[in-house]
This record gives sequence, C-alpha cells and structure tokens, in this order.
Amino acid sequence: MTTKDLIESAGLTPLTQFEPRDVDGVIVSDMLSDVMAGAKSGNLWITVQTHKNIVPAANLVDASAIVITGGKKVPQDTLDLANQHSIAILWTPLSSFELVGKLYALGLVAK
Amino acid sequence: MMPECQHRWKMTNIQFGFTVFEKCSHCQTVRTYFSTQDTWDEYREGPCLWTIVENAQTFKFDLQCTSCNHVESFADLLGLLYCTGCLPDCQVEMIRKECATRKTWILVAFGFLPEAKSQPIPERRLRMLTDHFNQRRDTSRSTIEIVWFDQIKNLSLCRGEFIHDVGMLSLETPEERKPLF
Repeated sequence: MTTKDLIESAGLTPLTQFEPRDVDGVIVSDMLSDVMAGAKSGNLWITVQTHKNIVPAANLVDASAIVITGGKKVPQDTLDLANQHSIAILWTPLSSFELVGKLYALGLVAK
Repeated sequence: MMPECQHRWKMTNIQFGFTVFEKCSHCQTVRTYFSTQDTWDEYREGPCLWTIVENAQTFKFDLQCTSCNHVESFADLLGLLYCTGCLPDCQVEMIRKECATRKTWILVAFGFLPEAKSQPIPERRLRMLTDHFNQRRDTSRSTIEIVWFDQIKNLSLCRGEFIHDVGMLSLETPEERKPLF
C-alpha cells in the first residue's frame, strides 16, 4: 500500500507536497524519543503532535508519512519544514484510536 | 585472520529520561546532563546559582552490532540537533546546503557540556551513529550525515532545534525558541 492509496482508502487529507511511497507498518506515539528508538523505515507515524520537531524525527527514521489525528491544526512552520524535506503530513479529524481501527481493517499492522 | 565485521547496528540499553540544560546566573556557564528524574529545582553550588533553562524528555542508548555483538557506548551523547539555517555563514549551514542537493540530511551531534568541548565524540563513533540511522532507512531515497557540534559557528546564537520532546505538551503553537547556550 502506498501513501497515495492510503489517502484515498482512509480518507486522509494531505497537507504537504511529497512523492508517494510504500507504507510499511505503523507506529503510534506522541513522543519523539519513542519514535526515534522504535520506528522502522516506511512506518506510518500516527500522532497528535504538531510541533515542527516531528519533521526531522520522521526524516531521521525514514517514516513514510506523519498522520496528525484528532483534527489538530498544524502550524505553518511545521508544514514549511515538511515541504522543504518532502515529508508527507496527512491529517484526519478521527482520533488516533479510530484511525488505527480503520487502518487495521485495511490490512496495515505494526511492522 | 578473521575478516573485519561490517557492523549492522541496532539500539540497545535504551533508557528514557530527561536532558537538563542549566545555567548559572553568577558565571553564566551552561551545562547539560541526563537525568531519570523530571527536575526543575534551582540550587546553589559555591558562588554559583544553577537554574534549569530547559528540561526535555529524551532517551539514551548504546549501539550493538547484530553480527558480532560488539556494543559501543553512547553515554556521552546528549542528542541530535537539526540546523534551521539561522546563521548563513555557519559551517553547518554551508554543509547542509551542499548536502541537500544530493538528498543527504545533516544532523549535529552534541555531547554533554562542558565536557564535550574538550572531549568530543570521535569521528569513528559519529560514523557508527550515521551508519546506524542509514541502515534503518531506504538510502536510495535519502541519507543522513551526522557532524559534531564544533562546526557551529556561534553556539550562543544558534537556533537549531534538538530532536527531543520539548514544548510538545501544549496545544498552543510553540514560541520561537531562544538560543540554549
């Protein structure tokens, strides 16, 4: 499954410009330390964090995309930095719990 | 003779805690340390009055080779900072710009201050760190390069951002961060 497929099937809104890529597994965490320690290449990172530090953290662990849940507004400096690094930021009004359920039903599991 | 191991690194001995930045109002020195406690207390030490400037959730780790089991300690690594391009004539910014053209992202490794100024993490271990993060990614898309913080032209003006959990608990947009050093 690619980020493009996911946008369509899970009803996610892309907030940045990026090249579609394969999604391989999921990590759900609101702590950068957790993500830096545990994320794997291609993981979809689900979080409510919108601080611009999420961009270099996602870049460092080679996440396929960051999904901001709960309808949280993403600051412009976060989006600017993500565009600069071609990091996909997707958005959903669903809670992390609801989104995970939806992704699980689509066949995405932790890697 | 055994061939030299082509190390494949994984994180080991992961310990979650806090990176504390404290500053003395008497001598203006900044020092940093890792703590397992979330501490904000100020305290006296001789003529010095130490106040916490920043306290961020972070983690410590070592690297272990999955082939030969060799463990390399990174107890002296404070964290990684990404360059925000705040100083155009800073060496890090120049390296960052040059590397961005070949999709290599620059991160700056910091040791704990003040020790790290006189005892830098050697290039050999920075290479291990770089290798670890590159081994975890699809390098056909982009790569990571880690440099030591002595490349920063002026620490007291640097507005680079540490990749650690600070200002992450508020629902408000964070204020622009002030230089830490």
